[in-house]
Amino acid sequence: MEEGAAQGFQAIHRLGLLGVSLLLMTLVLELVRRGRLKERYALLWLGAAGGSLLVGLFPAIIVRLADVLHFQYLTVVYTLSFLFLLAIVLAFSVVISLLSERCRVLAQESALLSQRLEELERRHE
Amino acid sequence: MARVLVIIPAYNEAETIVQVIGKLHARVPDYDVVVVDDGSTDATARLVAEQGIAKLLRLPFNVGIGGAMQTGYKYALRRGYDIAIQCDADGQHPVGEITQLADAVDAGKADVIIGSRYVADSDYTPSFTRRVGKSFLSRWINLLVGGGITDTTSGFRAMNRAAIAVVARNYPEDYPEPEVLVILHRAGLKTAEVPVNMLPRQGGASSIRPGRAVYYMVKVTLAACIHLFRPHNGPKQGG
Repeated sequence: MEEGAAQGFQAIHRLGLLGVSLLLMTLVLELVRRGRLKERYALLWLGAAGGSLLVGLFPAIIVRLADVLHFQYLTVVYTLSFLFLLAIVLAFSVVISLLSERCRVLAQESALLSQRLEELERRHE
Repeated sequence: MARVLVIIPAYNEAETIVQVIGKLHARVPDYDVVVVDDGSTDATARLVAEQGIAKLLRLPFNVGIGGAMQTGYKYALRRGYDIAIQCDADGQHPVGEITQLADAVDAGKADVIIGSRYVADSDYTPSFTRRVGKSFLSRWINLLVGGGITDTTSGFRAMNRAAIAVVARNYPEDYPEPEVLVILHRAGLKTAEVPVNMLPRQGGASSIRPGRAVYYMVKVTLAACIHLFRPHNGPKQGG
């Protein structure tokens, strides 16, 4: 297994991974700090950044997983990233549905209220 | 005497809307009319306001036919109407027969009355592709609601208070007619039909463009099915 790790996961990969996850984490935290990203959605991204940071620190996780699954370690990395992206896109679709539903209800309320207001104004003229 | 509201959703119907309201008002002056302007970019809203017969609900942007229709039903619910009738703005629905729908609801024949283009003495012939699509859809919907509806896509309908409460809370966004029948059925309400004669459209374009027909079929087929697995909403509380 040590050999596999040495072959598969080179230092440059680890450095790259560590760099990217730290960057992502900083970016997400900064966006939250500025109020541009809601905490509840930030958690998904922080989880992803944390996961890749963990892999960068302990590449044995991925190598072990690759051994168990009989995958190349890169395939494991790609599969995990793909699954994460899938999850986040699905989460976005759910959020968009919720927002468009609320948007419709608000538009309807606005129409009903402004009609009522106009009617009241006419009555008081 | 039952208070009746006629709901006319309108999206860029300036050509016909005034005439439709005028005919309606002449035929049934006791009925209130509400036009739901679904973000029209033409003179629809101005013409309706100038005519001064119908109440006008203006949506701030185009929300689609389902959302517009539902706005009318919410209005009916909040203003306590006994019967709400939905009617097209393009003049296809025979205004003269509107009392038939309201009277059937008033007589307690069912919670929802559909003006059907197919039963007995009506002479409506849609194009071939429309016939095929509608026949499939009709069978599917009838399977889901336990049969008895010949015209599942007719948008000429009257509902009583119980049905109004249901649709004010839950109305499909696009191509709503067949799906609504499933929602009402799930809420434990009864639907019946009366025959009507449809007129050729007097202006404007159909909301169902040919390219969208496939989407229409797939969406309605699946969506109608999904309603069976939702927790159903009885007509009890207000919306």
